[in-house]
Amino acid sequence: MLKYIARRLAYTVVILILVSMSVYLIFSVLPMDPAALSCGVHCKPYIIEANRHRLGLDIPLWQQYWNFVRGLFVGRTYGEGSAAFSCPAPAFGYSFSRHACVTDLVKEAFPVTLSLAVGALVLWLIMGLTLGVVAARFKHRWPDRLATGFVLVGTSLPTFISGLMMLLFVVIKFNLVSPLDMGRWVSPFDNPVAFFKNFVFAWITLALAYAAIYTRLTRSSVIETSSEDYIRTARAKGLPEKLILRKHTLRAALAPIVTMAGLDFAGLLGGAIITEQVFNLPGLGRLSLRAVLQDYDLPTIVATTLLAATFVVVMNLIVDLLYAFIDPRVRVA
Amino acid sequence: MSVTSKGRRILAGVATSAVLVATISAAATPAASAASKSGGTLIFVTQQQQLDHLDPTRVYTGRDIAFLNTYLFRTLVAYKYSAGNAGYQLTPDLATNTGVPSNHAKTWSWTLRPGITWEDGSPITCADVKYGISRSFAQDVLPDGPTYAIQYFNIPQNADGSSKYPGPYKATKAEQALYDKAVQCKGNTLTVHLNKSVADFNYFGTYPAMSPVKKSKDTGEKYDLRPFSSGPYKISAYKIGDSLTLVRNPKWNAKSDPIRTPYPNSIEVRFGIQPDVIDQIMKTDSIPNAVSFDGLLPQDVPSYFSNPSTAKRGLLVLDPYTRYQAINAASINCLPARKALFFAWNTQAIIDANGGSKYYGVPGDNVIKPNLGPDYAPTTGNIHDPNWKASGNPAYAKQLLDQAKTQCPDVYKKLTVTGYSVDLPNTPSYKAWTPSISAAMKAAGMVVTYNFIPSGQYYSTVMNTSKQGDVTRSGWGADWANASTVLPPLFAKNGGFDLSQNWNDPAYPGFMKLVDQAMGETNRAKQSVLWHKAAQYAMDQYWVLGIMFSKAADAFGSGVGGVQWWGPQGTFLFPKMYLK
Amino acid sequence: MSADVAVNDAPVQELVSRTPNQLAWERFKRNKAGLIAAVVTLLFIIAAFGAPIITGLWHLDPEKPYVDQLTPYGMPVGGSGISWAHPFGIEPQAGRDVFAMLLYGSRISFTLAIIAGVATIGLGLVIGTTVGYFGGWVDATIGRFSDFLLSFPQTFFIVALSLPLVQRVEATGIAHGNTARIVVLILFFSVFGWPAFARIIRSQVLSLRERDFVMAARSLGASTRRILFRELMPNLWSPTIVYLSLMLPSYLAAEAVFSYLGVGVQPPASTWGIVLSDSINYWQEDPAYLMIPALMLIVIVLALNVLGDAIRDALDPKADR
Repeated sequence: MLKYIARRLAYTVVILILVSMSVYLIFSVLPMDPAALSCGVHCKPYIIEANRHRLGLDIPLWQQYWNFVRGLFVGRTYGEGSAAFSCPAPAFGYSFSRHACVTDLVKEAFPVTLSLAVGALVLWLIMGLTLGVVAARFKHRWPDRLATGFVLVGTSLPTFISGLMMLLFVVIKFNLVSPLDMGRWVSPFDNPVAFFKNFVFAWITLALAYAAIYTRLTRSSVIETSSEDYIRTARAKGLPEKLILRKHTLRAALAPIVTMAGLDFAGLLGGAIITEQVFNLPGLGRLSLRAVLQDYDLPTIVATTLLAATFVVVMNLIVDLLYAFIDPRVRVA
Repeated sequence: MSVTSKGRRILAGVATSAVLVATISAAATPAASAASKSGGTLIFVTQQQQLDHLDPTRVYTGRDIAFLNTYLFRTLVAYKYSAGNAGYQLTPDLATNTGVPSNHAKTWSWTLRPGITWEDGSPITCADVKYGISRSFAQDVLPDGPTYAIQYFNIPQNADGSSKYPGPYKATKAEQALYDKAVQCKGNTLTVHLNKSVADFNYFGTYPAMSPVKKSKDTGEKYDLRPFSSGPYKISAYKIGDSLTLVRNPKWNAKSDPIRTPYPNSIEVRFGIQPDVIDQIMKTDSIPNAVSFDGLLPQDVPSYFSNPSTAKRGLLVLDPYTRYQAINAASINCLPARKALFFAWNTQAIIDANGGSKYYGVPGDNVIKPNLGPDYAPTTGNIHDPNWKASGNPAYAKQLLDQAKTQCPDVYKKLTVTGYSVDLPNTPSYKAWTPSISAAMKAAGMVVTYNFIPSGQYYSTVMNTSKQGDVTRSGWGADWANASTVLPPLFAKNGGFDLSQNWNDPAYPGFMKLVDQAMGETNRAKQSVLWHKAAQYAMDQYWVLGIMFSKAADAFGSGVGGVQWWGPQGTFLFPKMYLK
Repeated sequence: MSADVAVNDAPVQELVSRTPNQLAWERFKRNKAGLIAAVVTLLFIIAAFGAPIITGLWHLDPEKPYVDQLTPYGMPVGGSGISWAHPFGIEPQAGRDVFAMLLYGSRISFTLAIIAGVATIGLGLVIGTTVGYFGGWVDATIGRFSDFLLSFPQTFFIVALSLPLVQRVEATGIAHGNTARIVVLILFFSVFGWPAFARIIRSQVLSLRERDFVMAARSLGASTRRILFRELMPNLWSPTIVYLSLMLPSYLAAEAVFSYLGVGVQPPASTWGIVLSDSINYWQEDPAYLMIPALMLIVIVLALNVLGDAIRDALDPKADR
């Protein structure tokens, strides 16, 4: 088991290194020259050169990458002479367009994305599990049909449409959130009401889409486990149906759901780009989107991509380890 | 300088000045009789995530210069704080004069006022001004600002045009000596030596790049987050993507500052508000103290100004920008082909799509805008040609294409078979243009494709000659009231903004001859006549198409008083704004 | 993602009197919702590819600005401009007919979704079969590679890379303008899409290759290629069709999302995504312009999803019962 964990851990690290290298490579070989892009209207070749120097792009690629990796562990210093400044470790680089260390930008954006992801997760698990269990319990009767309808609509409604509709025809129309405060980050510990008002519509939007998938998953998982021998035995013993459901079926049916929830959650942590964009939430998704579409801010792009990949890879590792723990057959793999 | 994704406020272009501004306001400007008063919080709302720059050396956007000069930065000289034509005159600010030229305008000097202070109470010295100006040379630390100092100061340059002085941060003693020779302080008199005569150099004194910076407070790259104030307000908080808050600067002394009238107690800029939400706030007046920093979206302009209850909270004026499409003369290197594009273009559809001529603008006959003053004169040909129709003249365009077919078959093939490309910012307003352009071109037998470029990267991309398409949407405002800040930038190879790539056009030498003549002419009236000729010459080459003399549409809440238009920077007259 | 976790293998039905296809068809016919969905889908596809005929019958020109239907301020007459002549109204500002726009736009959307779907399935089928059959280091290498691919944030990558990639494609001269943008989208969709499907196929092949008929073919000395293409692949068509029918709606929706984010196909083309993202600007003045394409998109995605479920139920009656 230890050996397996060690191997998976090493594998995760290798994947992350590969991802960081390829992100660096991909964005560096593209025909988008950040030094020229930020040069503006009165651009002259010497200004581009000065920009390249400022952004640290006037050195070979491998050296840039090495500086990046080193920065993660020991921090980085920028500029020369009396204009020098530094970003402490772990430094993902410096965003010249926002005048801040990328690590700080990420630190600022992460709570927003985390709040979004956690709230949505809780909401969709409650909805999905409840509906799924009800649907399975009343298989082929009207609650099941209703749940099926919900699943279909939920999976067919692109989040950007449901989100926009909610924003335009509910939030703005009825002035539920002051337009100036929309999307403004408020800590739940400072002002829980404002926090809740800011996020609740984004949660509902995201949760609707995911809850549909989870309803379907829960339903089939519960149906499948109900036909297992030990459940039949329990039923034969005359245990009440509710107890069987709670004590046996649900527990067994939960495993695949937890796995999937873990992976979906990891995906959201990387930034729910569309939801954040629609609701103007300053999370990781918008941070990266802005870095790409507005100023081609390379350090921010690399950092957010890498972070998103890290969440996925690490969650994969956790899920795999959990599985190995639960199901000994996996260990041979 | 900045293209916002809004489309109305585009434009390259920096500070602008003009002598005659036709102020066509749909609503009467608020009566001056209502007394201005102090107090309250004035709120500006914008979809931008931040101001392009707060660092005085780096700010180069007309609106931001006007905003920062009003509240935070005192400059050597300033534009008069008044609406209408008086606003274009210079008035002393930190200095006691508007600049004294000598040695054929190759040497300029300013004497500082006594009693001027920083926000910590320490006096502003000549050395502070000298240091502030020197920062412009540190292009590798503080880019984006105006480069006039590098161009004009009497400091040796390298072959590529960069200065031998690298700015104050990493200059050696010898390099610093170069600067100290060009810029000198004697007592409280600052003297600047230029490498040539620049008759209106004192206008550059209105730029924050010519204002003082206290060396001990300079944080280089980070100064953009917290510049040290010399004006009536200071920064109390700035969070990019959220807000900028200015509060009163208690050390500011009204006696040393005869021009500023700080009415509000505090000023707040709120960033990252979605454009339709901003317009919604303005329409419903839900936040009476708010002012839209961005101008209204085109689709909201007509309804806003046709409704009396909202129209009185708006400004609809001729802005300082000329909007046009540059024709890439390097790829469309054939006059009849460029003419064909010009006459096929459907200007009317674009006007209609943006709210009609009453709200958007009228077709123009010159890249110089009429509100620039004597340098504008109506041209002949182009839109005055009897064959020109506002909605396009496909029949005439076809005739011209036939000429092109024999004269330049390659270009003809590009226009009619393989297709030519139009560069547009990637915003809804410009996307709405494409159906009418495509329809007009189809009618004239031409094929068009589009390059949509993210608005934040628009000008940087099209300025790259290898990435520019065949026709490029653009806009330009004069730096000050002289066509020398319009015609050479737009059509001279080294002018800085030559999107027409016309330097290999056979007609180019003839144009440059006129420009050189005009630049050398010191008699202003004669110079104007030469500019008329040069403008006519450029128009006759059809280097641009679809010129629009456009309007700006701004909106504010009912709680804001004293809102007027300020011509020089093409924005609000910030100093006169107060809260009712 | 976790390559070692077994995917539920659906055994192929072995039946006596009727072929599995006949049985599936009979099961499908009994599913009313599935039938309705099939009809709706068919209607949409016919409408899309018959767009020139329909607009011709209606005397509409998809590119013509109906300027007379706009107020002087560029808004449609009467709010949305809906009339008998313009059943879905008029586009604000530019003045095109919305019905014609959506019809022509749906051709692009469908073409894109179908090509991307087929490309995804094709890649997944070939790679999944290969790794499943050969196993060993081939399986390990490709498995690791798809892990690597799946760890990238896809939406963000498409947004970040589409502009420069479109420029690259244009520079090669293969395609220009919207064609280039469509090519890039298809590339992205299939590159990021295949691993999930390959995984399903892999597990199917893993169980199939130990089955009698494959063993028999192998012992008779059939070539690897023959086994792969003649023996294995024909047994994989049921998961393929199910997956394809579920892939299509998600690609249709994805196209709309990328238009909303400002990458992907661009005007004057008028895919549903483009119309939708444009209509947001007029949601107050002209809500019909927003609701109509939104409703269209929801209906077709819903129909395709129902259809996909129905096909799966028909082909694989054990699942989800």
